[in-house]
Amino acid sequence: MKVSVDSNVCQGHTLCAMTAPDLFVLSDEDGHASAVGGDVPPNREAAAREAARTCPEQAVVLS
Amino acid sequence: MSIDQVNPAPAGDDARRQPRIDVDRHSTVWRTEFRTLSDDLPANAPIAWNETYGGYWMVTGNKEVFDIVRRADVLSNDNDIHFERNGYDGIQIPPPPREQRVVRGGILEMDPPEQRYYRNVMNPYLSPAAVARWQPVMDELVRACLDDHIESGRIDFVDDLANIVPAVLTMAMLGLPLEDWVVYCEPSHATVYTHPDSPEIVRVRELQNQMGMRAMQSIAQLRTDPRPGLIDGLIKADISGHSPDDMEVLSQVTLLIGGGFDTTTALTAHALEWLSENPDQRERLVREWEELRDSATEEFLRYYTPAPGDGRTFSADVEIDGKQFKEGERLWVGWATSNRDPGLFEDPHEIKLDRKGNRHSSFGLGIHRCIGSNVARATFKTMLKGALDRMPDFVCDPAGAVHYDTTGTINGMKHLPATFTPGKRLGPGVTETVAGLQRIVDEQRLAEPVTARKQARLTD
Repeated sequence: MKVSVDSNVCQGHTLCAMTAPDLFVLSDEDGHASAVGGDVPPNREAAAREAARTCPEQAVVLS
Repeated sequence: MSIDQVNPAPAGDDARRQPRIDVDRHSTVWRTEFRTLSDDLPANAPIAWNETYGGYWMVTGNKEVFDIVRRADVLSNDNDIHFERNGYDGIQIPPPPREQRVVRGGILEMDPPEQRYYRNVMNPYLSPAAVARWQPVMDELVRACLDDHIESGRIDFVDDLANIVPAVLTMAMLGLPLEDWVVYCEPSHATVYTHPDSPEIVRVRELQNQMGMRAMQSIAQLRTDPRPGLIDGLIKADISGHSPDDMEVLSQVTLLIGGGFDTTTALTAHALEWLSENPDQRERLVREWEELRDSATEEFLRYYTPAPGDGRTFSADVEIDGKQFKEGERLWVGWATSNRDPGLFEDPHEIKLDRKGNRHSSFGLGIHRCIGSNVARATFKTMLKGALDRMPDFVCDPAGAVHYDTTGTINGMKHLPATFTPGKRLGPGVTETVAGLQRIVDEQRLAEPVTARKQARLTD
């Protein structure tokens, strides 16, 4: 599984990083999120799904 | 020629503006019947034409809120107080009378690209990384508020804690004198809860005027004698080749104060009241604080939704979710009802401290997401933890708790007295602490944007 954040949709709610701080990094300047990158470790796939489900803007993309 | 041919609009509009409801959000019914309304409206009339206040679209269902409010291409937040653009009325329904609108509500009553330029200026003061630097100051303020009352065994969680911490912190972040929090505090809350027909309104307007004049004096002073903070950032901002004048700076300051004070107070008071009424859940929150801190905060945000909704104006004709909207029509977006949608939230009327997938919209959705959300969360958590740690057996007095009569603007509380087993003071009270923090804020230039100063520094 790969995870990414659609930067056109993210508005900086920060819930993804709150849910899975190891998978997302927030910009110092505006708090908008991006994925740390690479494959999601198998034991973190549930956390990635949870982050996607929680995002108010539905900006977290799983593939 | 029949009347219909002369003026066909009403028939067409009547057909389009369905279903019709008659719900006065500024009456007590909206608060007392909220649970019933939040079951009924999203299920049966998620997008409805509300006939009150001249008529407006009211969207209450979660899916519909999500689909509509993120359409910044067809919605306007503009409060065009001088009729320079389309004459739109901003985010309040009903809007205040034109003669009372001195400034618009900052970026919340602006559209892009102007809104984005200002937001980019303010973000580096309010991002998670920027806010984290203020944690030692928040801790110190909470300690001082609690110390003023810890020996007596009595506190009013609104007047003595939840009103003070956000107010002083906001002063510090803006770059205003910290002690001025008293000038801004009362009018910021009283403006929200005082009914325009109440005799009290005269005094509230007077306090509001004093607040506005003090802010203008401070902005002028900061131009000649710069100090770090949001106001300094706004004064020096390049808004597409234009430098904001004092009134434009005041507009943003008004939003940051108006948006930051009453909302955080409301959330904190409601959470403390609920924890007093649910001692088993309080024990659990104390015991599992590290595990539950974030999920509990998001759950209180969802359940108590401090700002129940916001207005918009359609800036173009558009069809969304099968409804035809026309340019110029008003829209009210119900965050609070959306937050109780059973399709998205299991047992929506229950507070579950460990709720997962809490996709609430209490900070709004889309480009106008509350810019102070990170400050709100951090101050809330600090106040809650302080009360739980130092007054662990507090009991709120239901007879003394005063909720706002109406929740059309903010779901707030005026007073929340509580008693607890007295404890020991740890340091000076609020007045002395605020004076000490002022020196630290100045010496260490704490209010710089995160782009200039990344690390938190300890207070002395």
